[in-house]
Amino acid sequence: MGEIVFHQVEKSFGSNKVIENLDLTIRDGTFTVLVGASGCGKTTLLRMIAGIGPATSGQVLMDGKDITDLEPGKRDVAMVFQNYAIYPTMTVRENIEFGLKNKHIPKEVRDKRIQEVCASVGLTEYLDRKPNTLSGGQRQRIALARAMVKEPKVFLMDEPLSNLDAKLRVQMRVELIHLHKQLKTTFVYVTHDQVEAMSMADDIVIMDKGKILQQGTPEQIYHDPNNTYIAQFIGSPAMNVLPLDAENRFGFRPEAVQLTREKVDGARYCRKGVIQVREMLGSETLYQVAFADGQTVSVKMLNDQYRSGDHVVLNVGDNQLYFFDRDGQRIRRAAVGDAQYAALLQTAGGMSDV
Amino acid sequence: MYNKNAERRRVLKREWKNWALSYAMILPAMVFFGLFCIYPLCNLFHLSLFRGNVRNPYKSFRGIQNFVDLFTKNPDFVPALKHTAYYTAVVLVLLISLSVLCAVWLSKDRKLNHFAQSAIFSPHLVASISCAFVWSWMFSSEIYGLFNTILNAIGLKSVRWLDQPSTAMNCVIVMNVWKNIGYYSLIIMSALKAIPTEIYEAADLDSASPIRQFFQITLPMLSPQLFFLLITITTGSFMVFDSIRVMTNGGPGNSTQVLCTWIYEYAFLNNNSLGLASAGGVVLLLILVLITILDFRGLERKVHYQ
Ligand SMILES: Nc1ncnc2c1ncn2[C@@H]1O[C@H](COP(=O)(O)OP(=O)(O)O)[C@@H](O)[C@H]1O
Ligand SMILES: [Mg+2]
Repeated sequence: MGEIVFHQVEKSFGSNKVIENLDLTIRDGTFTVLVGASGCGKTTLLRMIAGIGPATSGQVLMDGKDITDLEPGKRDVAMVFQNYAIYPTMTVRENIEFGLKNKHIPKEVRDKRIQEVCASVGLTEYLDRKPNTLSGGQRQRIALARAMVKEPKVFLMDEPLSNLDAKLRVQMRVELIHLHKQLKTTFVYVTHDQVEAMSMADDIVIMDKGKILQQGTPEQIYHDPNNTYIAQFIGSPAMNVLPLDAENRFGFRPEAVQLTREKVDGARYCRKGVIQVREMLGSETLYQVAFADGQTVSVKMLNDQYRSGDHVVLNVGDNQLYFFDRDGQRIRRAAVGDAQYAALLQTAGGMSDV
Repeated sequence: MYNKNAERRRVLKREWKNWALSYAMILPAMVFFGLFCIYPLCNLFHLSLFRGNVRNPYKSFRGIQNFVDLFTKNPDFVPALKHTAYYTAVVLVLLISLSVLCAVWLSKDRKLNHFAQSAIFSPHLVASISCAFVWSWMFSSEIYGLFNTILNAIGLKSVRWLDQPSTAMNCVIVMNVWKNIGYYSLIIMSALKAIPTEIYEAADLDSASPIRQFFQITLPMLSPQLFFLLITITTGSFMVFDSIRVMTNGGPGNSTQVLCTWIYEYAFLNNNSLGLASAGGVVLLLILVLITILDFRGLERKVHYQ
C-alpha cells in the first residue's frame, strides 16, 4: 500500500505563501507525475511527502495514517533528488548501503539486496568506486539504486532526468516505466517537462502557482483540458487559442488541423492562409500559417506537401474545437447544454472565410 | 617551399620566449624566497657545525659534536623537546575538536551567532604579545589576578596558575587555544556552508541519527580543511615562542621551556652557544619536515577532494 492524501495543506516560506488549501489524492500503486512550470511548488509538495519540508498547516496522510509531523526516516519513502544528493565521500556501495545500515538490517540481507539492485541498474562493476569518478548517468543510477534498495512504499523523484543528455533521458524514461511495472509501488514523479509527464504517467497532476489545475490520466488531460493553461501546457506545439467573440475564446490543437488546397466537407472552422514558416522534423512537419487578418497558428502534419508561401485552407472539425470563457476556463458541452454549445460552434463556424 | 628548419626555429624561439617570460614573472618572489629563506637556512646548517657567539660565530669547528651534545650533554634540550611535544599534542587536539564544535554550533542560522562569530574571531586580530599580557594579568597570583579574585569570591583558595610547574604550561595552552580558535572555526565554518543541504536531507531519509550524520558525512566532507588544520597547527605549535616568552619565559624552573625559547636562550643569552642553538634549530626543522611528510604519506589518502 502507498496511498497519499493531502488535506487542506498550506505552505509558507516566511510571508510568501507557496501552497494554499491544497487537496490531492495520489492513488496507491500509480505512477503519478506532478507537472508544472518552474517555481509552482512541485518540489515543495514532494518534500512534504518525504518529511524534509513540513507543511505549515493541514495534513498529509499515508494509507490513512497522519504523517504530517513524522520524521523522514520513519516514513516508508525513498527519494531521488534532482541533483542526486549522493554522499560524495562514500563509495557507491556505501552510498547504497547507508540507509540499510542505519536501520540495522543484517549484513547478509544487505549484501543480497545491494547485489540485486545493482544488477538491475547496471552498477555492479562500480560498487567500490567513488561517485566523483562516475558519469552523470551513473550517478543518477546510484541515486536510483539507493532508493530502490530500501524497498519503500512510495518512490519520490524530483526531476531525476533533468541533468541527463537527451538520449539518456529517453532511455531512463523507459527504464523507470519498466521499474514501476515491476515494483508496482506508488511513484510520485516531479517534472517540468510535459513530454515526460505524458509518456510516463498513469496519473498527471498539473500545478500552477501552488494550485492544482487538473488531475487525470494523460488521455483525459490531453483530450479534455480544464483551461487554456493546461491546453497550452500539454502538447507540442501548444494549442492554438484565438478570440471567439467579445467574451470567449476557442482553441484547436496543431495536430488536429487538416491543411488542404480546398475546403474540406464537414469541417466547421475553415480559414484561408499562407504558409509562413515550414519546419521539417522528419516524421512530421510544422507550419506557421498566417491568416489575412494577421493572426498566425501552428499546424502539425505527418506529410510534407507544402512549402513556404503556399496558399492553403485550414480545416477544423466540431470535435477538435475547444471553448474557453474569459478566465480561460473550459466551456464544456455537458455544463452549458447542447443549445448553447451549438451556438458556440456556430460562432466559430461563422468566422470561416472559405 | 616549405622549410622545416625555419619552422622549427620559429617554434623554439616562441617556446624560449614563453619560458623566459614565465621565469621573469616569478623572479621577484624567487629572489625574496632565496634571500630570506634559502640563504638563512644554509647559514643555519653552517652555523650548527661551529662553536661561537653572535659576534664571532665561527670560533672553532665542531663537526656534528653540537648535535651529539644536544642529546647527551645539554640538560635543557630534551626536556624542551618533550614540553614542545606535549604543547603541540594538547593544542592540536583541543583546537581541532573545539573549532569543529564551535563551527557546527555557529553555522546554525541564529541571531546570536552573528555576534558570536565576530566575538570568537576577534582575538585573532589582536597581537599575540598583547593577548599574552592580558592573560598573564588574568592568571596573576597578585591581588589583581582575575581568576584568583573570582575563586576567592566564591570561597575557593587561590591557584598559582603561572607560578607552579603543574599548571603553567596548561595556562599557556588555554591562552593559545582561545586566541586561535576563532580563525580555525572560521575555516571550518566556511567548509560547512559549502556542504549541500540535500545530502543531509538524504541522510534524514536514510534514517541516519544526527551523530551518525556528523561522523559519516560532516567529518569526511571536512577532511581537506581538517588536514590543513593538522599541518598548520602542528607546525605552528612546534614554533610557539612569543606567548611563552611573555607569560612564563620558560619557567617556573624550565617547565615551559619549549624548542624556540630554548633556541632563543642559547643563541642570544648564553655565551658561545650559537652553534648549539643552530643545531637545535636544525633539529626543529628536521622534526617539522618529518611530521609533514608523515602527515602527507599517512593521511592524505583519506582526504576527500571534490
Ligand atoms: N527554502 C525556501 N525558502 C523560500 N522560498 C522557497 C524555498 N523553497 C522554495 N521556495 C519558493 O517556493 C516556490 C516553489 O518552489 P519549488 O517547490 O521549489 O518549485 P518547483 O519545484 O515547482 O520548481 C518558489 O517560488 C520558491 O521561490
Ligand atoms: Mg523543483
